[in-house]
Parts: sequence; C-alpha cells; structure tokens
Amino acid sequence: MLSNLGNLFITLTLLSSFLLIYYSAVGLKKNGSLIPEKIFRISKTQCLFTILSFFILLVAYIFSDFSLINVYENSHTTKPLLYKISGVWGNHEGSLLLWIVILVIFSLLFLNLNKLADKKFRLFTLIFQNILISGFLIFLITNSNPFSKLYPVPNEGMGLNPILQDPALAIHPPLLYLGFVGSSIYFSAALASLITKYNGSNFAKTIKFWVLTSWFFQTIGILAGSIWAYYELGWGGYWFWDPVENSSLMPWFLMTALIHSILILEKKNDIYLWVIILSILTFTMSVTGTFLVRSGILNSVHTFANDPSRGLYILIFLSIMIFSSLYIFYKYAPSKKSNFQFLSKEFFILINNWFMIFFLIVVLIGTLYPIVLEVISEQKISVGPPYYVIVMAPFLIPFLYFVSRGPQAQWFSAQSNNKKKNFLVLFFSVVIILVFFYFTKVKDVLINLILIFSIYLILQTILDFFRNIKKNYFNLSRIISHLAFGFLIFFISINSIFSTEYDLNLKNGEKIKLDNYEIELKDLNILNEKNYKKIVGNVIIRDQKKDTFEFLEPEIRVYNMPETVTYEASIKSNLFFDTYVTMSNLSGSEFYNLKFQRKPFMILIWLSIIFIGVGGFLRLLPMRQKK
Amino acid sequence: MKYTKILILLFSFFILSHSYSDEKMKYKIYKNLRCLVCQGQNIGDSNSEFAQTIKTVINDKLDEGLNEREVYSFLAEKYGDWILYKPPLKNNSYVLWLLPYVIFILGALILFIFLRKNTIHKK
Repeated sequence: MLSNLGNLFITLTLLSSFLLIYYSAVGLKKNGSLIPEKIFRISKTQCLFTILSFFILLVAYIFSDFSLINVYENSHTTKPLLYKISGVWGNHEGSLLLWIVILVIFSLLFLNLNKLADKKFRLFTLIFQNILISGFLIFLITNSNPFSKLYPVPNEGMGLNPILQDPALAIHPPLLYLGFVGSSIYFSAALASLITKYNGSNFAKTIKFWVLTSWFFQTIGILAGSIWAYYELGWGGYWFWDPVENSSLMPWFLMTALIHSILILEKKNDIYLWVIILSILTFTMSVTGTFLVRSGILNSVHTFANDPSRGLYILIFLSIMIFSSLYIFYKYAPSKKSNFQFLSKEFFILINNWFMIFFLIVVLIGTLYPIVLEVISEQKISVGPPYYVIVMAPFLIPFLYFVSRGPQAQWFSAQSNNKKKNFLVLFFSVVIILVFFYFTKVKDVLINLILIFSIYLILQTILDFFRNIKKNYFNLSRIISHLAFGFLIFFISINSIFSTEYDLNLKNGEKIKLDNYEIELKDLNILNEKNYKKIVGNVIIRDQKKDTFEFLEPEIRVYNMPETVTYEASIKSNLFFDTYVTMSNLSGSEFYNLKFQRKPFMILIWLSIIFIGVGGFLRLLPMRQKK
Repeated sequence: MKYTKILILLFSFFILSHSYSDEKMKYKIYKNLRCLVCQGQNIGDSNSEFAQTIKTVINDKLDEGLNEREVYSFLAEKYGDWILYKPPLKNNSYVLWLLPYVIFILGALILFIFLRKNTIHKK
C-alpha cells in the first residue's frame, strides 16, 4: 500500500516538473512582467507531492513496513526510533529521495523569494531546476526506487550498520545535502543569467543568499561528519582525507571562492563570467562528489564494474550537465572588459580564488589519481593524509598572509597605509612563537611558520575589528569568519604537534606506567542493551605530574542486527585537551588493547569551525551593518 | 622593510630545525600505513590482527636500527605500494606529486595575464 502511494507521489512530482517546464516555456513567450499564477500553484503542489512521498517512506520506516525492499535492507524493529528515522537517508535510495525533496523545496523558495528579479531570468532558472529535478527523479524511479516492493514480506529487517546509528551522523547527510543541493540554484540561475543576458550585479544579489546558505550548511555538515568520525570511528582523528570526505570538501572550496567573488560582481559588476563559471562548477562538483561516493568507484574500481548501472546513470547525467553548460556558456557568454587595480580589495579576492581553486585541484588530484592509475596501468597506490599535508600545508603560509592582508585593502584603489603596523604585527607574531617554543621545543619549521602566520592573521583581524569600531562601520561576519579561520589553523597545528598517544596491551586488573601516566584497567562489566551487548572497561588514568585521576569507560559493543562488533571511544573533554581511550580485545588471549590519547584543543577546533559558519550565517540576516 | 621581514623568517627557520623522538616516530609510521584488511583505516587506528602484526614488525625493524624510510620500503616490498599512504616518488607518481605545483603556477600566470590586461594604471 505504502509502496503504491509512494510511487504515485513520485510520479506526480515528475509530472509537475514536466508541467512546470512547459508552462515556463509558454510564459517566456508571453508579454508582461508577472509570472503566471498557474506556475506558482503547480510549484506548490509539486512541493507537496515530494514531501508526501518522503513522509510515506518515513512512515514505512517508523512502522517497519518490510514490504519495501529499502526498509527491509536498512531497518529493524528493535532499532531506536531516532535511527529508524535517520535510516531513511542512511542508504542510497532514501538519500536520493531526500536530495530531490530539498531540490524541489529550494526551487519553490527561489521562485517565491525573488519576486523583484526579472521574469525571464526566474522562468529560465525554474526550467533548469526542473530539468535537474526530472533527471534525478527518472534516476530514482528507474534505478534506485526506495518504494520497490518485496514479496513475500519478511518478518524482520536486516538492520542499519551500527556505526551509522549515531546522532551526529543522523543529521550529517541532511546538512550536507542542503549545501550540495543549495548550489543547484545558482547553477540554474547562472545558465538562466547567461541566456537572458541578465545584469551581473542583480545576478549577484539574487544568488548571494543561496551561496551563503549552501556554504553555511556545507560547513556545518562537514563539521558534523568530522565530529562523528572523531568519536565513533575510534581512532581519535577528525579528518582522514578519505575520498568520501574529500567529495564534501571540494564543493566547499568553490563555495568559499564564490562567497568572495560575488562581492566583486555585486559592487563593481565585474568578473561576471568567472562568477558564472564558479556557480556552474560548484553544483557540477557536488554531483561529481555524489557520483564518486554512490557509484562505489572510490572503494575499488571493481565494485563499480560489478554494478555499473547506478554510476553510469549519474555519469551520463553529469556529462549532459557539463556539456550543455559548456554549450550555453560559449553561445551566450558576453565579452566584457574588466577594470582592476593592483593591490585593491578585488585583487585580494582574486588571490583567494586562486588559492581556493588550487586547494580544490589538489584534493581532486589526490582523490582521482589512484583510480585513474589503476584503470590505465593496474597499479594500486594509496594517496592518504601525508600527501595532502605535504602538498597543501606550505601554501597555507602565503594564504594566511593574504587573508589578513585582503580586508585592509580598499575597493577600487591600491591605497594602504598600514605598512609599518603590518610589520610590527608580524614581528610580534614571530616573538610570540619564539617565546612559546623556547619552552616547548618543537622543531618543525613548517608548523612554526604556519603558527606564526595564523597568529598574524588573528592579530590583524582583531586590529581590523578595532579599526571598524573607530570608523563605526562593522563587517562583523567577515571578522568572525576570518578570526575563526586563523584560530582553526592555529589549533589544528598545535593539535598535530602535541597530540600524544600510547598503545598498550593490558590484562583485566593490570596497570602500567608510561612516561607521566599510570594506566589501569580496573575491571570489566558486561551489560545487555536493547539491540546490543556491551563490554565496558573501567580505565583509570593517573597523571603523576599533576597528581590527577581520570576515569574512562571505553566499550566494545556487539550488535545483534546485523551482527557487528564496534568499539566506542570514551572521551573526557575540557577546553584544553581531550582524553581519549578506546579498547579492543586481542583475539585468543586475555589481553585487551588500550589506546590512550591526549588531544589538545579539540573543543576549540570544533568551536572555530562553528564560528567560521556563524560568520557566514550573520551575512544572511537582513540587518546589514551600515553606517 | 621587506628584507627585514625575510630576515626574520630566515632566522626563525634556522633556530627551528627538524627532529622526531623515537616513540613519536613509531606512531608516525603507524599512521602512514594502510591497514590492508580494513576499510580506509591506518595501522595505528585499526584494531585488526593484521594491524597488530604490522605494528610488531615495525617495532622490531626500528629496534634493528632501520630508519623511517627503510621501514617503508621494507613493507612496500612485501605488500606493494598500496600499503603506503604517502606514495613514493617514482614513475607512476610523478604526475601526482608535481601536477599541483604546475597548477599553482598556471593559476598565477592566468591571474597575472588577466591583471595585466585589465589593470588601470595610475599616472
């Protein structure tokens, strides 16, 4: 029953898309500056249909209706309610439906929020949005239908992978999708803008809201994923440069580049084409990321070969997207002369874009190179964290410098009278680091330079803030984001130098001394929970230098559905450091492997990322801080 | 002014040179190796038996007096380059390692040409 209803609503959504394309095309030929009321109505109904179809899948999950293959494969009656709900988007089919729902809602919002924009421009945007919607819907219906039926109906489902049963991971995909899909709006708007020869500055004003929104959600989404990886995957890392992580980071670089460059377009009506290219690239990169993750091509070229239909469809869809954008771009791109002043604010924004594109390409090369190499030469290599750090970290130094330099520059002119002050700030940053390392004796040159320049950025941004107070003009959102970025790099660097870890094997009741710590595995408790059994270790860590105790309880969990063993880290956080312990049993022995880590500034790393996001969010608020 | 800046930087370069303690080196090596039986985990983070074995091998090799690079090449010889998260620079990885720098310079060139064409010169 639910299956039929679901299919019905999806089909109706698709039909609405076709109708919208048709009526928009008709509307384009008509005179008048108003969009026909009919289009608004269809758009609202379409939105209702998708939400209903999503709601039906949700109901199927909540009531464990195993007549749907999708529910059977990804859910289980004993699963807690929250994870029944998040199970909806914890798999390919369901997440594709969520993607479409957001796409439809955003199209409706775009139509309603930009009443002042040109009619033709809005109609063309709507057409492109609905072409995208139809594309994804056809994919859903033909290849990845979450409403496919199963007969005979099984009594019990297969369950959701326990490491996915987690609050941070429950909200991670929806947040990222808001980011990914948000970029579809400026993709469509960019194409529409080219065709209708829309005014660049107006185009910038229209898409600014969407760029900021998608960037904000992308930032927070990446953060949620990172926090999840930190405490759930049990290795105490928070970013592994895994291809899946990379595919969420790549659009983020482009969105960040866009946030900066639309300022030029808005203020000067310049670099129009570049903003168009960035807009098109961002969504293309989002779909590419989805393609890489969903096709299975990332794990191995061979999984892709086993089930190529899914990846193939996205690949074809992607090619059509790219080639038609290229066609529209070359057909309609106007030629315009730009006006630039060396060392002006615009100049530094272009520098930002140069670095963003560079970072993007490095991540892209690192992600794709092993795949390409394996396809052409059958040689398998791994590209992991060391590659990204070695290639990108040195470039952070000039980048941090430019981030602090840019905001001091003036629009349209090269004037700058802060040379002496800049020098003093740099001198001061170097002194801070030298004093700091006189005591700590860290000898990595690169890290030290990065620290110097992150402090430089922090100090410069604080000075910038005071200058703003003097001038009574606030650009709070820039100050917060830049400051938080400086702190982020600073804390990450400190974290990478001062993280300590100990790997030890202990018997129940045993204790061991390591450097300043005494680590004791006091005893073990076995407990039964709703859908798993757990072994809890009582670990006492005594810091002999400071004479303090910490009690931690790492767990080994054995889930019943599907039967999986997971390791739950026990983390004690405070502002300055996290104490992190994981435990696993060594098979065939009475020894337990304990991993004990001290990780400085973890909370502050998360906070920095939150504040980077908050900065962008402030821009969305209507009260702009003008004189 | 510029030269003083450079001097300060050079100065900080010289007093801060590179070294790792033995204990830290061990964990650094763990982190740079792929756990071959796991899904995208390194040796240091994995709980698998394979990882435990490799850890023991690394500890033994370090005790024998091998340095970081020698440990990597020993393991790569046994398990292939797939185990190394940092691909060694050779025929199949020149593009991987050098392309980013080419891109960066290319970006600079594009930016430079664009600006030269479109800059207003004050007189």
